[in-house]
Formats: sequence, structure tokens, C-alpha cells
Amino acid sequence: MFYLDFLIVILCFKPFRCRSLPAQRKYMRSPLIPEMATQEVQLNETLAHLKTESETLKSKLEEERAKLHDVELHQVAEKVEGLGQFVMKTRRTLKGHGNKVLCMDWCKDKRRIVSSSQDGKVIVWDAFTTNKEHAVTMPCTWVMACAYAPSGCAVACGGLDNKCSVYPLSLDKNENLAAKKKSVAMHTNYLSACSFTNSDMQILTSSGDGTCALWDVESGQLLQSFHGHAADVLCLDLAPSETGNTFVSGGCDKKANVWDMRSGQCIQSFETHESDINSVRYYPSGDAFASGSDDATCRLYDLRADREVAIYSKESIIFGVSSVDFSLSGRLLFGGYNDYTINVWDVLKGTRVSILFGHENRVSTLRVSPDGTAFSTGSWDHTLRVCDDCYFFIGIKYNQNLCTFNFTPCAPDKPPLSLTATHLPKYSNLKKHIYRST
Amino acid sequence: MSSKAHSSNNIANARRTVQQLRIEASIERIKVSKACADLMSYCSEHARSDPLLMGIPASDNPFKDKKPCTIL
Repeated sequence: MFYLDFLIVILCFKPFRCRSLPAQRKYMRSPLIPEMATQEVQLNETLAHLKTESETLKSKLEEERAKLHDVELHQVAEKVEGLGQFVMKTRRTLKGHGNKVLCMDWCKDKRRIVSSSQDGKVIVWDAFTTNKEHAVTMPCTWVMACAYAPSGCAVACGGLDNKCSVYPLSLDKNENLAAKKKSVAMHTNYLSACSFTNSDMQILTSSGDGTCALWDVESGQLLQSFHGHAADVLCLDLAPSETGNTFVSGGCDKKANVWDMRSGQCIQSFETHESDINSVRYYPSGDAFASGSDDATCRLYDLRADREVAIYSKESIIFGVSSVDFSLSGRLLFGGYNDYTINVWDVLKGTRVSILFGHENRVSTLRVSPDGTAFSTGSWDHTLRVCDDCYFFIGIKYNQNLCTFNFTPCAPDKPPLSLTATHLPKYSNLKKHIYRST
Repeated sequence: MSSKAHSSNNIANARRTVQQLRIEASIERIKVSKACADLMSYCSEHARSDPLLMGIPASDNPFKDKKPCTIL
């Protein structure tokens, strides 16, 4: 069918290249070697025509997208009130992993966290108390993906073993979790990310083998596979349940693809990043998604406008983004970076509203809690941190030789904070004072 | 023979690319201004219930610091 399509294209638009088939067939009755040569010429021409059509379609796509590009997001957002600067603080530090923390996920109960590490351990924590509730040792190192089941009764994880396994969590602390392990997904390369769908029954996985796949947990059966990435797929995120059966994936081919889960079809593709896409996350409304990449930028893509609508970057930020997530309203975008910091962006205005230090090695994973009260980060420094914001910076008042920094607390039942100094202190000293008083 | 198989593989890939591009080129799009306006209205609608944006009372914050009592 496709052969006919482009033949028509040739006949209609490129008459000088037209060759009728019957003449070809007559020529092909000659000895074997010239026949193969002719067929090869034929195949090469077919390839050339397909490539030309592909280029034409690509430029048509760009044209269509550009036609609707009438304004930038930050221009539309000019009338929105600015956020000012936040001061964020680490509230809990979870220590226990013996090596780099690679991935983490929150339980729907807003309290428990599952994390996985290079040392092969998967730990379930109570983030309120920092206690470890469960620990499993995987048969492989570099457990790059882990996810909590929606019911809170199981966790899924995988990595260099090329599999995704599900462990039911038992209330009995002494029970050996590894005994009940269920192998669900099988890829031909490392597992980079996994996520349960709306129930405990299905898992979506992405892999270094360039594919994503949907599996039935009970039978381990492959329900749908998603082909289209040209290199390792590093991340995925499911659309919020109200918006339907789609998910987005990002890969080493610098592309972010949006897929239909039922048909396996790639419905939209975005290629504006300049390096590997390490993390993708849907905007809470489901109409857009953010991505974080090794090119040190985060970008926002709108699905209905079918294009990138914002870039979050600064000249001073040169290290890659490993993970991104939105706050509950979608106004804030949190990014974990390879320079050990967390940068928080105003999604609408494109400006940075906070920077958080604390980790002693690169931040590898970041998730906002399900009720949006805090966000958790995991790092190569073997720890996880749970953070939230404590102050908004209002401004500086100068009085003769004194300057006063004024902060209003994020918590309305706490008093405002004023710090006075005889000279402009270093930002790090200022933060020490703020933390002591919270 | 192997080069022919290689070429037909390339053709199959090229056909898939063309087919994929056709699908992507034919989807319905809206103007960026409309899309951005929708993103903004979602933000403002939900801003009040966003704890990290607005702050929550310390008494409601499950992660508030557990400080030892200071003896004055």
C-alpha cells in the first residue's frame, strides 16, 4: 500500500524520475548479477524517494507547528503575580543505603517512600519517623528503577538484571520478602524506569533496549510494546488518570515521545533537547509535560499546541538535570541536578525561585509527595532528603549602616523573620541564621 | 544478497518513519496563546491548595521539625 502511495507521488510530482514497471521487468530477465545490480539501484531509488518524503513531512510538521506559535509562555504570564524567592529546608534525612541512591517513589499514603540503590538494596521508609520498614536485596547491582503500587501493598524494582520484579509487602517484618518475588518484565537490556498503572495489575517499563512495554503483573504477559526510540529509553511518566491512556517517555535519542497505551502507537514526538532526556513528568492537568536533560535545561512541552513552550535554564547552570517534578498546582517545577543542587522554577514566568543545597553528590531522583506537602530527593551521597519551604524572602531594608533581611514564613502560624547585619552577609551565613530560627 | 536484505531493512525503516511522520503531521493543534492561557488558569485555580506554593500551618505539617523543649 505504501509502495503505491509514493509511486503516485513520483508520477505526479517528479515526472523526470518516472520509470514504468513493465520496462524494468523486461530488463530483469538478463543474467543474475546485472539483475541484482538493477534491483539494488531500484531499492536505492525507493530509499531516496522515501527519504525525500520524510524530509518534506518533517518540514511540513515544523511549518504547521510554527503557524500556531503566536506567543511565548512567559509573555502570556506577564500579568501573573511573581513568586519572589523561597528558602527551602531539609526536614528529614534518610540514611541507610550503602551506595548511590538511584530511584525513589512515594506511596499514596503520603508517608512511605521506596528507594533503590547501586548496592542492590531496595528499602521502604516511613518518611515521618525515618524508620526503615522493609529491606530487600536484589540479585543485581544498580537497581535503577523502583515504584510503589497504588494499593501500597507491593513495590516493583529492577535494573541491570533486565527485569522488573514485584515484591508484595508483608506486615510481618520478619518475613523474607525475596521469597515472594514475582518476575514480571523481561527486557534485553537494563531496566531504566517502571511505573504501575492505575492498579496493582499492570506495570509499564522502559529499558536500555530502546523500548517501553506494558505487562500484566499476575501472568507476566507482555500486553503491549512501544517501539520508536532510536536509543536507550531513560524515563517514563503516565498521564494523570483523568486524561486518558497515554504516557510519555524520554531517551538517549534526545526525543520525548507520547504513546497511546492501547494501540502502541507513538502519537506525538518532540526533539528539541540537545542531549539525553533523563526525566519526564506530566503537568498536573495532563495537557503538558516537563523534561530534564543532560543539556542542563528543563523544558515544558504543551501537548495540544504540539510544541515546546518554555525552557528553564541559566547560564550559570551547566550540569545536567537528572529528575523533575511539579508541585500540586503545577506552578513550581523542581529539578534535581548533577551539581548536587535542587533548582526550583516558576513554571509560568520561567525564573528560578529557589536553590537548595545539602546533598554531597549529584541528585539522582526527585519526587513531590502525593499531597504536595513536601518533596523528596535521592542522591549519589547515599541519602534521601525530604524538604519543604520555610520562608519567602520579602526584601532588604537599609538603615544607615544596617541592612535588614525580611522573610515571611510559609507556615501562617509562625512569626515573620528579620535578620539584621552591619554588612551584606554571605548567602551561606544568612541561610545558617534562617535555619537556626525555624 | 546481504546488501539487498540490508537495503530492504532500510526501506522498511524509512517507510515506518514516513508513516509515523504522516500521523504526527495530521494531528489537530491549538494556538500557543490558548494553550498557555489554559496552563495559567489551571495554576491559579489550584494555587490555594498547593502546600509548597502557599505554605501550610506548622501544626498541620507532618514534616515539621521535632525540636526538644528549650528551658528558658
